[in-house]
Amino acid sequence: MVPAAAHNTREIEAVRRADGESRTLAASLPRLVLEARRIAANVIHGLHGRRRAGAGESFWQYRRFVSGEPAQRVDWRRSARDDLLYVREQEWEAAHTIWLWPDRSPSMAFASKEARDSKLERALIVAFALAELLVEGGERVGIPGLVSPTASRSIIDKMAQAMLHDDTARLSLPPSFVPSPLSEVVVLSDFWSSIADIRTMLGGLSASGAHGTLIQIVDPAEEIFPYSGRVEFVEPENGNVILAGRAESWANDYVARLALHREQIRIETGKLGWLFSTHTTSRSAAELLLFLHSGMMVNKGIARGTTVEAGRSA
Amino acid sequence: MIAGLPLSFLEPMLLLGLLSLPVLWWLLRVMPPRPRRIEFPPTRLLFDIAPREETPSRTPWWLTALRLAAAALVILAAAGPIWNPPVGASASHAPLAILIDDGWSAAASWDARVKAADELISNASNERRGVALIPLSEPTRDITIMPGGTARVALRQLSPKPYSIERTESLGTIDRFLKATGDCEVIWLSDGVDSGHGADFLQGLKKVVGDRTVTVFEGGTAPALALAAAENAAAKMTVKVLRAGGGVASGAVRGLDQKGSPIGEAHFGFAPGERETEASFDLPVELRNDIARLEISGERSAGAVQLLDKRWRRRAVGVVSGSSADVAQPLLASTFYLTRALSPFADVRLGGHGAPQQAISQFLDQKLPMMVLADVGTLSPELRERIDAWIERGGVLVRFAGPRLAQADDDLVPVKLRRGGRSLGGSLTWEKPQHLAAFAADSPFAGLAVPKDVTVNRQVLAEPDAVLPTKSWASLEDGTPLVTGEHRGKGLLVLFHVSADVRWSDLPLSGSFVEMLRRIVDISGYASGPAPGAASAASTETVAPLHILDGFGAFGPPPSTAKPLAADFRSRATLDHPPGFYGPADGPLAVNTLAATDRVTPLDTSVLNARRASYTNSEPRDLRGILLTTALALFLIDAVVVAFLGGGIAGLLRRRAAPAALMLALLLPMAMPAPTRADSAADQFAIKATTQTRLAYVVTGNADVDNIVKAGLSGLTLFLAQRTALEAGDPVGVDPAHDELAFFPLIYWPVVPGAPKPPQAAIDKIDAYMKQGGTVLFDTRDAIEAPPGENGASQTPGMQTLREILSSLDVPELEPVPREHVLTKTFYLLRDFPGRFDTGQTWVEALPRNEDDDTASRPARGGDGVSPIIITSNDLAGAWAIRPDGQPMLPLSPGEPRQREFAFRAGVNIVMYTLTGNYKADQVHAPALIERLGQ
Repeated sequence: MVPAAAHNTREIEAVRRADGESRTLAASLPRLVLEARRIAANVIHGLHGRRRAGAGESFWQYRRFVSGEPAQRVDWRRSARDDLLYVREQEWEAAHTIWLWPDRSPSMAFASKEARDSKLERALIVAFALAELLVEGGERVGIPGLVSPTASRSIIDKMAQAMLHDDTARLSLPPSFVPSPLSEVVVLSDFWSSIADIRTMLGGLSASGAHGTLIQIVDPAEEIFPYSGRVEFVEPENGNVILAGRAESWANDYVARLALHREQIRIETGKLGWLFSTHTTSRSAAELLLFLHSGMMVNKGIARGTTVEAGRSA
Repeated sequence: MIAGLPLSFLEPMLLLGLLSLPVLWWLLRVMPPRPRRIEFPPTRLLFDIAPREETPSRTPWWLTALRLAAAALVILAAAGPIWNPPVGASASHAPLAILIDDGWSAAASWDARVKAADELISNASNERRGVALIPLSEPTRDITIMPGGTARVALRQLSPKPYSIERTESLGTIDRFLKATGDCEVIWLSDGVDSGHGADFLQGLKKVVGDRTVTVFEGGTAPALALAAAENAAAKMTVKVLRAGGGVASGAVRGLDQKGSPIGEAHFGFAPGERETEASFDLPVELRNDIARLEISGERSAGAVQLLDKRWRRRAVGVVSGSSADVAQPLLASTFYLTRALSPFADVRLGGHGAPQQAISQFLDQKLPMMVLADVGTLSPELRERIDAWIERGGVLVRFAGPRLAQADDDLVPVKLRRGGRSLGGSLTWEKPQHLAAFAADSPFAGLAVPKDVTVNRQVLAEPDAVLPTKSWASLEDGTPLVTGEHRGKGLLVLFHVSADVRWSDLPLSGSFVEMLRRIVDISGYASGPAPGAASAASTETVAPLHILDGFGAFGPPPSTAKPLAADFRSRATLDHPPGFYGPADGPLAVNTLAATDRVTPLDTSVLNARRASYTNSEPRDLRGILLTTALALFLIDAVVVAFLGGGIAGLLRRRAAPAALMLALLLPMAMPAPTRADSAADQFAIKATTQTRLAYVVTGNADVDNIVKAGLSGLTLFLAQRTALEAGDPVGVDPAHDELAFFPLIYWPVVPGAPKPPQAAIDKIDAYMKQGGTVLFDTRDAIEAPPGENGASQTPGMQTLREILSSLDVPELEPVPREHVLTKTFYLLRDFPGRFDTGQTWVEALPRNEDDDTASRPARGGDGVSPIIITSNDLAGAWAIRPDGQPMLPLSPGEPRQREFAFRAGVNIVMYTLTGNYKADQVHAPALIERLGQ
């Protein structure tokens, strides 16, 4: 069990490093590509068309005036060309809210020899970079319980400051809160919590219809279990201990158990239409960032139907 | 006492504790080491894995062995081991008979022997036992049982004898004593050397002693070393070093002269198991002849001393030739062959220019031990008599045949000769040249290899008679003698039936000739009398002892027992004739402890049914401390290992691994030799220069100029990046003498007036650079000081310096940049190339003059390549130089507004010219070409 003070220091260091690295990561993503995608896919964060009529600036359609509507909605110019009355509808445009949850619990501070960064650093880097990208794209980004959704340009500073001055307990999973139905949730964690906890968290977050992505950030050592000999394993968060006489003989079971754990999470997320993916810290952070960015767009495409329904029912 | 080891235990029963070690082994094997502790976030998952049956982790075998060793050491320590336990006789009250070996071989370890005897005596006197001392060298001494105190005094009076003792002679005395004494305990302080009848003595002792207790002291001291068979050979003096058993493996033999001052030292080493080796003195013959005493340094015994008298000196040999041609053609003379054959092992004295008779009488006066007469004919009767007398006294006369001998009627030969001699293989003879057949077995030549390549063309023939075969030492294939010899008195007369030169045979050319002469010379030493002019009655001649060696090998006055000995005494020393020098001080006779053929052999006492004890020359030592300390150290190692295995130190090391690797990385370059560093510096330079296109300038050493030039090239680089596609790297300063220039398309060379001419290495590199397509831009930067005079010639100091530099370079023909030169069109269309000044002329390699009208009208012309040299005086770099804030560094002259722009453009054109070559010269035709293609 890591002492809280030591973990705090480690976290502060990680936040500071991630602050710098995430900026460069965000800057290195080619803007042109992003721009091109915005135009081509017509699906991008920020103030963009929702493909339905609503409050917005761009023209969507003319529809027949339904009696009972306020008369000022009538588009007289169009109606003058015909005997009918028409109403000009604009496409509905709205900003998105994205909730990011970088897990800062002690278990995230783990880094084996094979890893470049600790999981904590990697989670923070990706969270910051994603926040920067999203804010640039016009979205509002927040951290549950820490930073309220904002589209501030200095989002990284804001998040870093908030984390540095955060004196609450470091939770593995996001605290229970109710995101707005159209918001997105991105949880970056190692998800070593029990499947029941994860299920509870998912249930809470998705109750209002929000969508999201779970990214399990793991260290290479946690994937392959490279230990041998007589080893005593300690859980960093609650200090539980288990002794393996010949750790090498545990590796197969461990890998199978790990696969099972992931499958459970995948089933849970699949039920809700959430995305689940894993990321190893030995891989590049940009890879994860790209995945997240594209994944959120795909996610939106798939989930549009439900989103629309939810919007109407609201 | 453990067999072979001077080790005993106070509590031997405790050694049974060693039996518990296997149990300990089993116990230690099953005890697991402490586990490593690893923080592992997904530990929760591990809880879900069904705990498998864990076999107990085994301690590594070596760790167990370590612990067992420590435990065994503790048990051994508890048993109270003692190294060198005190020796003692068995507990009884019978008197003690102590037999002491006191020959030369006991001398080296005499102290240990005396100490052991002393201990025995004191133990015996404590127990009130009588002691009888029996030195084995004195069979005549009567043995009495003495009380301890008296025995101790008697022991002090004993000293080792300088000769080999004969133990068997004492057996009778011992037998009588034992019979008289009855019950008695026998202790033999042996020296472990069998100097003759060792086995006989052991058998006799066994019989004499009967069933009395016998203790033999042996071992524990270094076995005795001895010297024998010193030989003053041709190239070096050798002496055999002998040893009785193992022990000393190497050492040194010292050579001392008559006065005892050292002359040389020779090292020897025994091969394992060998009991005999050789030490050789590689010294000049004069020094070797001075050696009178050889001794093994550090070995105090008479046997380790070898005394040398004049028999070991190298002999002088007088060579007399009867032929007169010897002086005329020295390389064909017989004396030449004899000198060459004799000189490796003897001092050759030549007869000089006088008549042979004179030379012979001269040599006789000098009392040489050996003379060689090559083809000397008849001698005068007086001289004959003198020679006969000399041979009688031991002189060795060797004669060689020849025309004169063949014609003379001479009886100073071993055999009767036929007049004339015979010729073989000539045109008038039937016989073929003869080969050498054999050496007679009883001759001095016995054992020499018979040379197959020796042929004899002529020889003198002996009259066949009954004694001829006995006198014949070497014979030809047809049985005729080649060498005959005869002992006359103490001397020797030898005749070679061929001449000593190559006219009669090629024997003098063969190696056998040398060997044969060596054999004869070896005889001459022993044959010669010890003292010149000594009494003629050789058999009764005796010499008195002069200096005598004691048992420890030190010289002393002759003891009363030493008797005079015969002058031809050749044997080993005895009681009557102890080793030392005998006779007159100027030519003494050496008597040695060991004769040349003597060898020392170890004494095998195993036939004797006796207790064995060893000489202990050190105090008893309690080993408990050492054992306990070792055990403690082992436990400490064990603790460290356990900590290591448990991961405590592993973690520490892991944390330290990065700094350690860093340290290693820092230390490694230090260990590398310097050239590698130089190479890496050159590599760095090359990498820097090649990763980007860079402009280069020559570092002049003048800081102002270098700064301006660097800023100028930086400015140009910036300008290039702004206006053209070339984004060059920062400019590089180069030193043409050391740096590789081939990486740079253009080198800007600011000429500093009065600067020394660059070294030849730099000039050579510049020359090669220009030849390989590089361009050097020389800028004298002084157009304002001296506008070019007639034909652009200028006499400014800068120009002078430039001329100085260029004088050693292979510079092509130059011309001012013509209007149509491609340099004016590579990027911008330019008319001239202004810098800070615009009056200077720019020179480039003259284009090939082409009379063709077509070329004359071409808008742009370029040579085959790039002009290797561009010379300007406009101070281009000064115009390009910008400060870091982007402002120009230097003002321009005359300062027209667009001058700086044009200066940059000139720079761009020059750089483009060096990069693209005459491409632009072709490019200007592109529209016309395209147009033509279109048609």
